[in-house]
Amino acid sequence: MFLHNFLYEIKSSLRVRDVIFWLMLFPMILGTFFKVAFGGLYDKQTNTDPIPTAIVETQENVVFRSVIDSVSGSDDAILRAEYLSEDEALKKLRDGDIKGVIYSGDKITLTVAGEGVEQSVLKLFIEQYMTREKIITDAVKNDPTKVQAVIDALSEEITTSEEAPLTNGNTDIYIQYYYNLIAMVAMYGSLTGLHIAIGQQANLSEVGARRSCSSTPKSIGLLASLAGTWVVQSICMIICVTFTAFVLKVDYGDRLPFVYIAAICGGIMGVSFGFFVGSLSHMKEKAKTAVLMSVSMLLCFFSGLMAGNMKSFFAEKAPWFNDLNPAALVTDSISALNLYSGYDVFTRKIVIMLAESVIFYILGLLITRRRKYASL
Amino acid sequence: MENTVVKIDNLVKRYGELVALDHFSLEIKEGEVFGLLGPNGSGKTTTINCLLSLLSFDKGSIEIFGKKMTPVSYDIKKDIGIIMQNVVVSEELTVRENIDYFCGLYITDKKLRAQYVDEAIKFVGLEDFTKFYPKKLSGGLLRRLNIACGIAHKPKLIILDEPTVAVDPQSRNKILEGIQELNRSGVTIIYTSHYMEEVEQICTRIAIMDKGRKVAEGNKDELKRMIKNTETISIEVLGLGADVLAEVRALPHVYDVKYDEKVLVISCSGGKHNLIRALDTLQKHEVSFGRVYSELPTLNEVFLEITGKALRDKEE
Repeated sequence: MFLHNFLYEIKSSLRVRDVIFWLMLFPMILGTFFKVAFGGLYDKQTNTDPIPTAIVETQENVVFRSVIDSVSGSDDAILRAEYLSEDEALKKLRDGDIKGVIYSGDKITLTVAGEGVEQSVLKLFIEQYMTREKIITDAVKNDPTKVQAVIDALSEEITTSEEAPLTNGNTDIYIQYYYNLIAMVAMYGSLTGLHIAIGQQANLSEVGARRSCSSTPKSIGLLASLAGTWVVQSICMIICVTFTAFVLKVDYGDRLPFVYIAAICGGIMGVSFGFFVGSLSHMKEKAKTAVLMSVSMLLCFFSGLMAGNMKSFFAEKAPWFNDLNPAALVTDSISALNLYSGYDVFTRKIVIMLAESVIFYILGLLITRRRKYASL
Repeated sequence: MENTVVKIDNLVKRYGELVALDHFSLEIKEGEVFGLLGPNGSGKTTTINCLLSLLSFDKGSIEIFGKKMTPVSYDIKKDIGIIMQNVVVSEELTVRENIDYFCGLYITDKKLRAQYVDEAIKFVGLEDFTKFYPKKLSGGLLRRLNIACGIAHKPKLIILDEPTVAVDPQSRNKILEGIQELNRSGVTIIYTSHYMEEVEQICTRIAIMDKGRKVAEGNKDELKRMIKNTETISIEVLGLGADVLAEVRALPHVYDVKYDEKVLVISCSGGKHNLIRALDTLQKHEVSFGRVYSELPTLNEVFLEITGKALRDKEE
């Protein structure tokens, strides 16, 4: 019975046009768009002269100064930084002599005049610094003996220097968008999970009623359908990573197999999340779909899909949230492969993802199984 | 002695203030084609959903094949086939795959299942459409697919909830013949429908429900005897005098007489030999007459008389 349900779930899921489009084609289209949009930006960033920038130190920040020195001191520097007072910096900004003013202190802030490639690069640079600073500071808190290594690593990751980094991962600041793309596909898996929940409940669908009348125990039917959907979702995740890695030539570093693992675990979590939401209430399928899409996009937003600094915002204000947000877990797990030489953080994120998958599944199952309904 | 397949005892189901089933009881014997009739909102579908353990109920008990029915009564469920009001199939699977999928929810042996699926396809006459997707099928073919999905696992009890809605006469005939064939092979059938002629054609026993209660139960003849008008006699006759009409009105069991100068219509309630007595009266007065008809009431008339003619527009 399990195998029968499992195979038919795979067969029917792969024939659903929405699955083909949203989980296979749409990520390819969006990934291609990212490549066109950010690929050009990256080329400009790497091929143009250093960006003239003023640094205004409102408070001493040794780590940030070290990073600035690293990114402005070499032949292929990103910035041409000069340390100025605030008045001098703002005057130069008004005169167009510099592209931005970075305020360095407790917080790092940026002031730019107008919009352009250089301004965007500065903005992304600061966002990346803040995100990584938070991650690395947390790591330092756990092991203070690594302070120097962390500062070095931070410098190395953001610079294009030829010194050996902690990992062989890609430190391109735009790669986060591809991580978020993978997270988005994983979260879209929640729609197929929702479909499973609805298709198994007599009060939500007629096919659910027909299944409930059969001699297949609901728990077996549910598990088989979910397993089938997990397989389909995993195929979609593999296609997404493969397309971006080998067609769009996105450089995920030298740990690509682990990126696949993170993507697949993310997909499984997305399906389970949708299954849980689908089991929750008596709402119609369309209403549930709308709620789920909104929640998924919101979680992707919080993980930085639309605004790159969201994740660092949560890392600062509510660090626990990034450990709960399914979308952030996916991006963080892949980021960890590029940030850390070891696998501790990556493994922790994967374990949390799988734990959330199990919790969502068990909660959904408890809600739906052995149930008679008050109304249909 | 016939075994009891379904036993519903004193079932009460409430939706808030609304009493959907009001101390409803029913017993269905093995081999019966049991018709469950009732206007919209009378509680037919609620009864079936309770029977299948999909719906909870407030009071009463349900036994199927002599065992208490619960959501986890898989040993009972394996012998039940359900054909729902609406077509319930997967749009992503072909005709054959759909039947195989739903059959596989009951039958684990792959070889046996393949045989059952072939038989179900043949039974509903879908041999030429096995590779079609449901969206390519007409309404009648979809209904037949729906039935095949419900019966492929060879259940002992089949519940058909208005299976012929929006079906053309040919498909309906095929479906009804199929149901009778299933019954002849020993399957017990519960059949709900709004089409009285279908129920009259195939059901061996009928219960009429209204407002959650069973208001009548019996075979066709028993039900027809329950209403006032048991026989309508029509006689073509010209120039009938008032005295003759008065004498006809006075005949035993006659409760209504209508005459429009061409046809005399005599309504009788019960009794035997009503036609002979009416014709004797006419002959006694040397009245010549043409064609003569004697009609027993239809199930539709029985239904309307028992449940009333007021419109019911509540959804079940």
